[in-house]
Formats: sequence, C-alpha cells, structure tokens
Amino acid sequence: MSMMKLSFLNFKASFKNYLSLIISLSFTVLILLNFQNIIYSDTFDTLGQMNTRNIRIIIDCVTIVLICFMIFFIWYSTNVFLAKRKKEIGIYIFMGLTHSKIGKLYMIETSLIGLTALIIGLIFGIVTSQLFQMILVAVSQISVELHFSWTIKPIIFTVVVYLAIYFIFVIKGYINIVSSSVLDMVTAAKQNEYVKQNKYILLVKAILGITILISGYYMAIKDAGIEVMGNLFIAVVLVIIGVYLLFGGFIPLLFQTLARNKMFLYKHERNLWINNVVFRIKKNYRTYAIVCVLMLCSVTALGSGFAMKNRYEGIVHFRNTYTFQCTSNQADLNEKLRSLIEQDNDIEYGNYLPILNIDTSLIDTLYKNNTYMFVSYSNLKRIAKESNLEFNFPRLKDNEIINVTQLHIMSFANKENITRTIDKKEYKQIAETAIPYLGRFQEKLEFFLVSDDTYQSLKSKGNEIYCYNYKIKDNTNFKASIDELDTIVSETENNYTSYLAVDPSSSDIEWIKIMYSVCIFMFMVFILASGSIIFMKLYNDAFEDKGRYDVLKKLGISKQKLKKSIAHELLFAYLTPFIVMTVSSYFSILALSKVMETNLIFVNIVSVFIIFIVFGLCYSFSIKIYQKNASI
Amino acid sequence: MNDKKVVEIKNLVKNYGSRGFQTRVLKGIDLTIYENDFIAIMGPSGSGKTTLLNILSTIDKPTQGTIILDGKDITKIKNRELSKIRQNKIGFIFQDYNLLDTMTLQDNIALPLSLNGVSNTKCIEKTLLLAKEFGLKEHLKKYPYQLSGGQKQRGATCRALISDPEIIFADEPTGALDSKSSRDLLECLKNVNDAHQATILMVTHDAFSASYAKDVYILSDGMIKCKLSKGKDRKEFYDRIIDMQVSLGSDFS
Repeated sequence: MSMMKLSFLNFKASFKNYLSLIISLSFTVLILLNFQNIIYSDTFDTLGQMNTRNIRIIIDCVTIVLICFMIFFIWYSTNVFLAKRKKEIGIYIFMGLTHSKIGKLYMIETSLIGLTALIIGLIFGIVTSQLFQMILVAVSQISVELHFSWTIKPIIFTVVVYLAIYFIFVIKGYINIVSSSVLDMVTAAKQNEYVKQNKYILLVKAILGITILISGYYMAIKDAGIEVMGNLFIAVVLVIIGVYLLFGGFIPLLFQTLARNKMFLYKHERNLWINNVVFRIKKNYRTYAIVCVLMLCSVTALGSGFAMKNRYEGIVHFRNTYTFQCTSNQADLNEKLRSLIEQDNDIEYGNYLPILNIDTSLIDTLYKNNTYMFVSYSNLKRIAKESNLEFNFPRLKDNEIINVTQLHIMSFANKENITRTIDKKEYKQIAETAIPYLGRFQEKLEFFLVSDDTYQSLKSKGNEIYCYNYKIKDNTNFKASIDELDTIVSETENNYTSYLAVDPSSSDIEWIKIMYSVCIFMFMVFILASGSIIFMKLYNDAFEDKGRYDVLKKLGISKQKLKKSIAHELLFAYLTPFIVMTVSSYFSILALSKVMETNLIFVNIVSVFIIFIVFGLCYSFSIKIYQKNASI
Repeated sequence: MNDKKVVEIKNLVKNYGSRGFQTRVLKGIDLTIYENDFIAIMGPSGSGKTTLLNILSTIDKPTQGTIILDGKDITKIKNRELSKIRQNKIGFIFQDYNLLDTMTLQDNIALPLSLNGVSNTKCIEKTLLLAKEFGLKEHLKKYPYQLSGGQKQRGATCRALISDPEIIFADEPTGALDSKSSRDLLECLKNVNDAHQATILMVTHDAFSASYAKDVYILSDGMIKCKLSKGKDRKEFYDRIIDMQVSLGSDFS
C-alpha cells in the first residue's frame, strides 16, 4: 500500500473523531476571510477617506487577534492529532517503518485534515460573506449601499496565513515524531504522569497567583484616565499571570486537599469526580486559564463597543445645542464673542452663565478623575429658556441637587433619592437629566444643579468660571468664524479662554459605529471560541475515559451514578473559568468605565449573563457527547 | 458445610450466533453454590468458562435456564435492578486488576461503598480494616501505577470484599501475576474464605491456583465433566487435579 493511500485511509477512518476540530478550524478561516473581504471590498468607500482609514485600522487589529486565534486553534488541533496518532505510530515502528517515513505519514494525514478544514472554511466564507456585511452594516446602523463584489485578494491572504501557520505546526509535529523514542510513542496513549503534584510547589503557586491577581485588580482600578494606560497594561499582564497561577496552583491545591479529606470525599459521587479533576488538572489547567482570559477579553470587547457607541451618541446628542462654546475666567466676554461670531454668521441664540468647579476630593465619588461642576438653579433655568430647551424642575430646596449628566447607555440603578456628600454636607439627588443644557461640555463634565443659596455657599470651596454658548443659524458655515474666534484664545496664568466648535453635520465619526458592531462581533467570536475550546477538550477526554467507565460498569456502579459524576466533573470544567472570569470582569469593566468615563456595569452584567447562557448550552451538550463517547 | 444456597444454577444453556448457525457454548449446566464455598472452575480454552462467568456476573444473558441469586432469578431482572445486584451482592476480581488509575489505592478500595451512599466513617473504617488484613496499609496513599501487580490484585480483592458481597467472582485472578504474587493472593483468598465465610467462585486454567479451592469443577465442551473435592492436603489435591487434566487429555492453558 502506498504512503498516500494509507494516510488517506487513516484520514477517512478518523474523520468523525476530528469533526469538532475541523469545524473549529474552518470557523477561524471563515471569520478571517469575512473580515479581509471588508478591507478589499469597496462597501465603505462612500463613508469618506477618514472613515475608511479608521475602519481599516480596526479590521487590521481584528485580523491580528484572529490570527492569534488561528495559531492557537491550529496548535491545539495538531497536538490532538499527534497525541492520538502517536500510539498507532508506535505500532508502525514495530512493523519496521523508519521514523522519517512515519513522520511523513503523519504530515500527509494532518495536511489532509488541514486542507479539508481550509476548503470547508473558504466555501462557507464565500457563501456567507455578503450576509456578514449586511449584518455588520445593519448592526452599525450606517447607511451604505451594499453591492455584491468579490475579489481574489482576501482569499489569497487567508489561505497564505492559514497554510503558513499550519505548515509550521505540522513540521513541528514531524520533528517531534522523528526525534522521539519508540517507547515514548508506544506509551504515549497512556501516560500516568499527571497525578498528584507537590503540595509545597502548589502552595507557592497558589499564594503567588492570588497575590498577583489581586495586585492586577488593584492596578486596574487604582487610577483612571488615559494618562494611566501604563498601569492598565501592567494590570492586564498581572491578571493573565495571576489567572494562570490560580489554575495551576490554587485549584489543584484545593482539589488535592479535598481528595485527601476522606470524610468529605466518600460522599455522593465525589470519590469519582474529584479524583478525576485532580488527575486531569495538570494537563488541563492551561486550557481553563486560556478560556478564562478569552472570556475576559470578550466582556471587555463588548464593554468597549458600548462605550464607543455611547461616546458616539453623546457626541450626536450634545452637539446640536450650540455651535461654539467658550470657557473663560473672565465674566465680560459675551459682547465681544457675539461681535466676533456675527462678523461671518448670524446667531440664532446664545447665552452665558457662571459655573463652579469643585475639587473631587470634596466629593464622594468612585470616579475621582471626573470633573464636577455646579450650576445654580436660576442660571440654568434662564439658559434653558434662551436655548428653547425644556426645563420643568421645581425650585430646589437647599439640600437638594439634580444631576445634569451625559447619556447613559443603559442605566438601571435608581438615580433618584440617592444621597451625595459634598464638602461633608449631605444632599439629596432628586432627579437626573440628560437634556443638553450645556452642550458638549455636558458630555465631558459632570454637572450638578443646586439651589441659588447653596451655589453661593459653595462658591468659596471652588473656583468659578464662565461659560458662553452660541448657536448659529447656518451650521454649515461654522468654519467662517473660526479665524475670529482664534484671536480670543489665551492661556496665561490669570487670563485664560478657550473655545470649542462643533460641526453638527460631520460624518467623520461614522467609523465608531463600525467599531461598535465589530466589538459585538468579537464578543461573540471570543465566547464561541472559549465554549468550543472547553468542549473540544472534554470531547477528547471522554475517549480517554471510556475504559474507566467500562470498569465501573462492570463493578455494578449504576449508569445514573456515573452520569451524575460526569455532570459534576464537566460542571467544574465550565464553572471554574466562568467564576474567575466573572470576578475579573468586574475589575476590567470598572477600569474601562474609568478610562471611557462612562458607567458600564450594566454591560458587564448582560455580557456575563450571555456567557452564562452560552456555557450552559455547551455544558448540557457536552454531557450528552461525553456520555456517548464514554459509551455510558 | 453450610446449607444456605447462595447461587443455584439450573439447566443453563447459552447459544451464540444467529438462527441456523448457532453454536451451543453451554449445554445445560447445573450447579449449586452454598455459603462459604470456594469453587474453582477449570477447563480448556473454548470450554465456556468465560461465558459462564459472564452470565453469572449478569454481564451476559443465557438462552435458557435460571440462576437464582439470593432468592431472585437474575436472568429475568431488569437492568436497573441488575446493577444494584452487581453492586451489593457480587464482588469482582479481574485478571487485569481494573483499578482506576485516577485515584489512590485507598479511594479505589472505598469506591463501591462510597458510591453506594454508605456513611463516610464506615467507608474509611472498612477500607483501613481490609487494607491491614491484606498487608496494604503502607500503600494506601499510592496510585496504582506505583504498585506491583500483586499489590494491585490484593487491592482489587479488597475492593471486591468491601461491600460484603454474597459471592465473589474471580476471573483468572492470578493470570497476570508471577508465582510468588500468585501464592500470596491465593493465600489471601483462602483466608477470606476461612475467616470471613466469604463465598468464592474462581475461574482459572491453572491447576496450582485451583488447588487452593475446596471444590474444583472441570468444564469441558459446555458441560461439567466432573467435580473434585479437596481432602486434607493441598498438595495431594493438586496432584489429583493434574491427573484429571491428563486423563481428559486436553491442554488447559
């Protein structure tokens, strides 16, 4: 029999076993192809150069992440192929084949699997590409005309990337075979090295892991703002290392201790599944850690997406009130500004008011980096009338405040009747409003509306600045006034003035919407990937366990008990990464909230809930498959 | 001898193959096992030893005949009850030990009991007691791969005994052991039979192993050819078994 024919027969026989791996490989090909197709298609050209460029940057980033995924999946799959084949390979060696011939056999076989996955991925990728673009455009809520176009470039890119990675790992497998001893190969299928690990090493790992994880959390939420990006980077690294050590140290230690406590162990089905967990953890802990980090990425991706969308909507919401907004420490600029603007434009309405900036150290808040401004009731009422904005709050009592705020994406906490402490005095927040009284400023700064008397009493605690707002009749002509306004900007110590011009018709930020839908998409990819990684792991473990369950059945252990034990074991596999992720996500989302200056706790809860549902489905499906593979 | 019947086999017939091409493997076996019996079943390859053991241990179903175990006909019981019987009434010792490599010896021994809902203190107590008796006390914390074949088989015997079964089925228990370990194990089994009043049915092709039993049944061509009973001396019994083997003229191994 020729080499080719033998490997083809092997491939055919094992196709069903590897189906889950082939599907995941095809899936990565499909996704990569779809994203590449966006770059090369002219769908987004109509959005203008700026948007196209930004979309391209986003997709480039996504591509890098997807390639990392692909590397991981291919690495994992080829490892599974290698481990599964190694024992049979050992038999070939006994039959007298040389190492290099067997290596070739493995290479041909694995390449066949890889090519199958590639072809399936490409076919489905091409079929679904238009659908993918349609969904992307629909979720982004942007209006571009979709036309069906196809170029060969994205296909070439995908194929080259995939084959290059695949080839590297196949070569790695080949070298592994050629350089391994016969004994290794024969015993590869049943190595028992994964039993108990040294208690003290585990203890050190566990303590290190928890310490590093907690310091990672601390770094993430310690400070906020763009300027502490370095901290966040350190936090990310610490959390990843911490998660690894947690799964490599703390969890094995916990389960080994449980297994040693026979009073605990000899109850229900624990003797079976806890021992199984201990037995497997050394081999599987990396998988759990990777899944945990992946899920953390997915939650953060979704959070970023929503924060982006929030930012976008905020910009749109707040930019229509005023065209020009100035701040200054001078109280008498109104006439001057009006005359400057009126040189080229007609003012539709305008107003000015004093606002009071109070240092965050006097305010009880989580977001110490935000800037808090106070406005008096009568001033805000006046400018609302001048800007034709609705204003129907009752006159405030001295201990009442109203939060004049940015848009919240999804706010579920009751913002009424909460108490805020400002300079050791308590105020009752009776309402919250996102009506854009203060235009763009409201999006960046946090405003509190207080009674006139309270404003006067707070005046000594902060510094007062003046805010001038103008809306012109012809928005499109706003650029004409810019040169005049530039003359007023000053930045000296006792005299500063700055201004902000808003182009309400600009579509420069359409790409943020794409960013948003890409983030949602990445969220789903990450979740599917994490679910399928655990799923594949368990799928393979089940085959290994078949013999053990046969023994147990012979001993007369009822199927019901075995099923229960399996359910517990699999629950561990899904639940532990989920719990670690849930805790970590709270901190990552909090850090993101601080950077993006928006509250994302709701996104956190929703995304954890979605992962919970997806994992629940994977879990119940895994149980079915596991029982089937272990033939119970 | 005790008069309490543990297993009563009547006219046991087993056919293999589909209609028209049937081979009769067991051709009507009658056998009654009383409490505290130690029976060895010997026979050449293909004589039906394994089939008989499989049917007795409820893994296989007979074509005809009844097997009464503890007052119930196990050939007519549903699957769920069968596994209960396997768990509570029968203990198994296999040729290849079948200890789970995922857990320590102690957990292996305690496994049937702990999965049975027996209180944890009782599990621990019984495990230690048995381990002491079988000289495994120092090895309880070890994993099967750290144990010798003899230790593993003794562990497996502990596991078979822990749920106080009505009868123990041993399938070639010494098949994978060297002669020293075999002797140790057989001594253990004999001791269990004497001290614990345990009932043992052992299938073997080895006359030396069989000579440890009280009675030896020779199975040939699906029928029980003859029964030998032990006198006073084991050596003399061994010689008689060998003579019988020679007279039957077939190779048992």
